[in-house]
Amino acid sequence: MDYLYDLNTFIPATIAAAAGLVVLMQSVYKVKINTIFGVTVFSLVVALLFALRDLFGPVGTSFYDMVAYGGTAAFGTLLVITGTLFCVLISRDYLEAIDHHYGEVYAMILFATTGMVGLAVSNDLIMLFVGLETMSICLYVLAGLIKEEKTGAESALKYFLLGAFSTGFLLYGIALIYGATGSTNYADITALTDISPLFMAGSALLLVGFFFKISAVPFHMWTPDVYQGTPTTLTAYFATASKAATFVALILVMSRMMPEIEGVGWTQAISVIAIITMILGNLIALVQDNVKRMLAYSSIAHAGYLLVGLAAGTADGYTGVLYYLFAYTVMNIGAFGVIAFYERNQALDFTDVNNYAGLGYKQPVMAVLLSVFLFSLAGIPPFVGFLAKYYVFAAAVNAGHITLAVVGVLTTAASVYYYLRVMVFMYFREPHKEFDLVNPGAIFKYALIVLCVLTVYYGVEPVFPMGSLIELLTSYYTETGPAGMAGP
Amino acid sequence: MAEAEVNSYVVLGAALFMLLNSAAICVYAERRIASFIQNRIGPNRVGPLGLFQPLADVVKLLLKEDVTPVQGFRTIHTIAPMIPVVTALLTVAVIPFGDGIYVTDINAGVLYLLAAASLGVYGVTLAGWASNSKYSLLGGLRAAAQMVSYELPLGMALASVVIFVGSLSVVDVAVAQENWWFVFLNPLGAVIFIIAAFAESNRTPFDLVEAEQELVGGFHTEYSSMKFGMFFLAEYMHVVINSMLITTFFFGSYHLPFAGYWLPEMSTTAKAILDITVFTGKTAFFIFLFIWVRWTIPRFKFNQVMSLGWSRLLPLSILNFIVIAAILFAINA
Amino acid sequence: MESYIPIIVLLGIALVLALLLMSLSRLLGPFRPNTNKLNPYESGMDPVGQARERYSIGFYLVAMEFIIFDLEVVFLFPWAVKFTELGFGTFVAMVIFIIILFIGLFYTLKKGTIYFELKPSISNRT
Repeated sequence: MDYLYDLNTFIPATIAAAAGLVVLMQSVYKVKINTIFGVTVFSLVVALLFALRDLFGPVGTSFYDMVAYGGTAAFGTLLVITGTLFCVLISRDYLEAIDHHYGEVYAMILFATTGMVGLAVSNDLIMLFVGLETMSICLYVLAGLIKEEKTGAESALKYFLLGAFSTGFLLYGIALIYGATGSTNYADITALTDISPLFMAGSALLLVGFFFKISAVPFHMWTPDVYQGTPTTLTAYFATASKAATFVALILVMSRMMPEIEGVGWTQAISVIAIITMILGNLIALVQDNVKRMLAYSSIAHAGYLLVGLAAGTADGYTGVLYYLFAYTVMNIGAFGVIAFYERNQALDFTDVNNYAGLGYKQPVMAVLLSVFLFSLAGIPPFVGFLAKYYVFAAAVNAGHITLAVVGVLTTAASVYYYLRVMVFMYFREPHKEFDLVNPGAIFKYALIVLCVLTVYYGVEPVFPMGSLIELLTSYYTETGPAGMAGP
Repeated sequence: MAEAEVNSYVVLGAALFMLLNSAAICVYAERRIASFIQNRIGPNRVGPLGLFQPLADVVKLLLKEDVTPVQGFRTIHTIAPMIPVVTALLTVAVIPFGDGIYVTDINAGVLYLLAAASLGVYGVTLAGWASNSKYSLLGGLRAAAQMVSYELPLGMALASVVIFVGSLSVVDVAVAQENWWFVFLNPLGAVIFIIAAFAESNRTPFDLVEAEQELVGGFHTEYSSMKFGMFFLAEYMHVVINSMLITTFFFGSYHLPFAGYWLPEMSTTAKAILDITVFTGKTAFFIFLFIWVRWTIPRFKFNQVMSLGWSRLLPLSILNFIVIAAILFAINA
Repeated sequence: MESYIPIIVLLGIALVLALLLMSLSRLLGPFRPNTNKLNPYESGMDPVGQARERYSIGFYLVAMEFIIFDLEVVFLFPWAVKFTELGFGTFVAMVIFIIILFIGLFYTLKKGTIYFELKPSISNRT
């Protein structure tokens, strides 16, 4: 049974899709929302277990070479499912507090997850497109969840229009590449020996489509508005899972699809974009008073750091990017999660950093968690953000991109200002007025604590003698590979 | 090849002639049957038994003034009545009237029929839109919603026929029914198809598009003269066409019931005459059915029409399709 | 392609016929327009405003669903023609495809997309 074998290689996405359908039916029949939440979490946990299994499994392609499994693809799946799981865990209390707790939200998240996994395991430009669209359409819906408010409508409309626009670029690029090569499969395109201008134009458009999705400058305009208008926990989902999926797809495209011919690589273009992105993202983040907008610009800046690793274009670089994606997923969901917790309190507008004054002593655990996540985002040791940045910049230096690394380090230093600013408000300012914070729910709290533990653990991981994450990732790009198969 | 082409153009001419005339006959039949059902006499002044009534109607329509409302889209207003007439006429090209008697046999005949049928909605919708009248607009909108809604069960019912035939050629569909009409093999599909065909031709109980009590004349409120006449013509041509389609797809086309088992061999001419007679007879019956239903069953409300289409017919037709596919798969594999 | 020639001929005949009927009425009928005659009919009153206003979102929803299911039907046809030859795996795949769309249909039906109630919105919750 070929079909069953193929399905087995794609099982996390299959589970997510099936669970999405179940949740959709449940929400129609007005099943209790907690049951729906339970089903979602359960299916994601099962999918996570399968993804963990695939992490050490064989490498290859299935579904007529449409889908890659094992190696980078498996890690991408793991990233997406992890991000989704934590976002769902912190979503329940928050969505309840803002009165938008519908079963369809979970269905949409699960469908989007299906698309993201499809994107992260794509081995064919058609699969890439289908995955991207499945993901995007669900995200457009989620962006407009708070449709009663102007920001929500703005966010959905902006995301939809610009997203559809960028999809147009991507699709046009795919069409041109198909025209130049006669195939949409990565393996066939790599085998190409003769590069036509058509192919160059196609790959440039493809790259533009990707830049839109990962919000690299100058294609970042939608990011702050969308992040601001979307419910905070879903913003975390946008910022982490979807970005991780897109970056993994980008790695797959760069490492598997691009023909190895001199002058064809994307290094030059990506380097320039990376530098602009890092500088602009960090600079604009400096002046943001709205915490969500600040994190939006910070996520643009992080896209810049990730692009540094891609610009290196070596095995080290790809490893670093994968590691960075993991770190970014963990700490960013954490940061958004704590902000979502503060936002649950209707006493003040907790998206404004001025209102964070004195919060440090109200719910000490939450404040400490936020500090940890922000420190990690700023890249301060001993947190995972530091190691991630180290791997990426080291790869860039090794590949001879000194400028990139220097700009990266300088902008990182600048970024410390706006991350620490939040903490300064929390611990060193007097509150404007008296109010009490609600208690965080148990699931919410423990999800954040797990994220915090991950942040700290992987920050000090090299100290421990056990097999580390970076070794696993490196093995994807060496001859032996995890199961003795050649990567990537 | 040359002979076949001549043959196909002869059939084409004959079919067109018959179709245009049958529309006129339909008008007369409808009025006579309606009056019979309502216990009155009906048209009886023009010619013997009022037989020339349709002719008089046409002359009257031709002599009326052609009015285009102000602020209406003049171009669209003019084009709209032509669309349903043209699409109705296009349909006859692929329908077989007898053994080897057809205009053309294309390998995507069923899809062609669906395409031609779905084009018809443009005429009604554009007519409603171009008139700049509220009644027309409502009629046109309803027409769009209703016709697209019933196109789906129609298509699914056709798919459940195609699955028996294994070909998209309408001629193959007709040939495949020599022994067993598909109404026996696929009764649910037949019922769905007939209901959907009624809705597609906008006849009572589905004539929400016109609904004279609430919408004056619906989409053709602002139409007069021969433009109105074209809509009138198209409606009756659709009745005829849909009767032909019901006959072709479910009631054995030109075959007598179980003809393969008992019908003796006969000469080509005799067979052709028999075939055409059988086909015409069945079509006439379904035309009668159309008229009968119109004057018997009252009109639905619009939300009833929509919910019948979407929440009854469509799921039912999809289920019907899957079940038939599963059974056939089990038998063949 | 040769079998399509009669269809093109038929299209030509149909167009000519339609144009002929239209122009006949133009030639034979009178032409005496006046303001009252040219105004859209509104039960004898002077017409109020334009007819081309925005209309219920229900129609858009119906149109969108139509596109989805029309595509489903179009996908089903080629499979229905050759479904025994394509084998069991394709059969299962097709059934899954149909079921997924069926769930979608069910969802929209339950949400009241096509019922044209007073508030035809899918956010119409209790």
